[in-house]
Amino acid sequence: MNRRPRVGISMAAMTGFLVGVTAILSLLLGDNPALFGGGAQADALAQDFALPGDVLLRLLVIVLALSIVFGIANLLIVHTRRVAHGRLMSGVLLASFAGAIGWHITRRGDTSLLETIQLPIESALAALLCITLVAGGARILARRSDIWGLLFVLVVVVVLLGSLPLPELAPIAAFSDWLMRIPVQAGARAILLGIALGSIVVGVRALLGQDRSVRG
Amino acid sequence: MDVTTQQVLSILFVLATVVLVYTARFLQSRAASRRRLRPMSAFERIPNWSSQAIEADRPLHLAFGSASIGEDNTATALANAELFHHIIEKNSAGDTPPALSTSAPTTVPLASAKVDAAWTGAGAELNVHWYPQGKRALGYAAGVTAVIGDDTPSAHILAGSFGAELGLILDSARRNRQGTLAVSDQLEGQAVAYAMADEVLIGEELFAAPAYVSDEGRAAADAIVMDVWRALLMILVTLALVLGVAGQLPWFSWQLLAVVVVVALVLGAILWTIQRRRDQ
Repeated sequence: MNRRPRVGISMAAMTGFLVGVTAILSLLLGDNPALFGGGAQADALAQDFALPGDVLLRLLVIVLALSIVFGIANLLIVHTRRVAHGRLMSGVLLASFAGAIGWHITRRGDTSLLETIQLPIESALAALLCITLVAGGARILARRSDIWGLLFVLVVVVVLLGSLPLPELAPIAAFSDWLMRIPVQAGARAILLGIALGSIVVGVRALLGQDRSVRG
Repeated sequence: MDVTTQQVLSILFVLATVVLVYTARFLQSRAASRRRLRPMSAFERIPNWSSQAIEADRPLHLAFGSASIGEDNTATALANAELFHHIIEKNSAGDTPPALSTSAPTTVPLASAKVDAAWTGAGAELNVHWYPQGKRALGYAAGVTAVIGDDTPSAHILAGSFGAELGLILDSARRNRQGTLAVSDQLEGQAVAYAMADEVLIGEELFAAPAYVSDEGRAAADAIVMDVWRALLMILVTLALVLGVAGQLPWFSWQLLAVVVVVALVLGAILWTIQRRRDQ
């Protein structure tokens, strides 16, 4: 496979580092004159710091939009080739694409195509997902026959019972509420904090130009 | 806390992370002070799946989900790319390159760059599937299910941003007797992964994954930095809880916090040195 030359990698890493440091300093220091002591001069300085961040964010939005355009163009090219090889479903995809574009141009603001085709299909998938999740949950004890698997199933049963509108199950409903408010919230926050810490370390790695996406 | 204090603390936090990353890399580069990572069964399965894929001439399926560059889960996409790079590299002994899938347009170039950079084997036909669904990803799940039927991957490594739709993919893989490893930065997806995947990673374990699938010291060092921050966070949360219960929280100050952090770091360094001497 093609490997990028060393000079190219160094250039990419250096560019990544410069852009990363500029963006983070601009986002953290910009638009806050208090950091520079206040006054008219501090205002101007804060705005100067904010400018590179704004420019980079606008560039990012343009790149994101372009990536969608390129992605769609690539999708159309791939499926056009497939049609040439007699793939029927690719023909259906191209026809749907042309139909949706035509619909949007001729009936601006009309979302009935989305409501009558896309939403029912997604609803059907969501219903299927519900059954899949119940079946998957039921199989967990076969898959994880340990204390945590048992705990998982017990919590699911308690929460399901607690959601039933039966007065006899009021104590279970109260316990289920407590379960969702305290232990589940605590666990969820712990997971999210872990993800945030991981994101920071990955962010620093990208900022230093040492991420694999930059190094090649 | 006012905006200025937040900004100053953010800059200090980033700088402290940079210092920690370099310190951990320096220590990790010295064999005597190298720290072993805690074992995780999920990573022990990956080489087996990779070998099976090579022997059966079938692809591995590596999925980003809706993790994308430029959004709030950019770090997830970058961490996935790092993990997938090492998996693709080790899978290069085969003839069939892995199939990568994503629902985010900005991840497509990242995924194809991974195949381009990491695949050293024969037949590097680009096999990146994009299902343009974004975060409403039921269509993505349906598309990936079709890949499972057509390409018959030997196993699925679903590491990225998934919601409850992950259940459809995992169920389809189970019916086709294909191994699965799943982790998501969304809580719904994480719960489904825990219930239905053969192997599961939780939360930040995704970001530590490169340390387990590569021999690079820097990846292990980054995992250690995450452990250090997590330990500090746990100490601070416990301290805040104790102070809160004792009714002393109004006395809490940033100077006190700085002292606690320094004490925790010194204690950590002492414990680490003792542990290292015991290991020797």
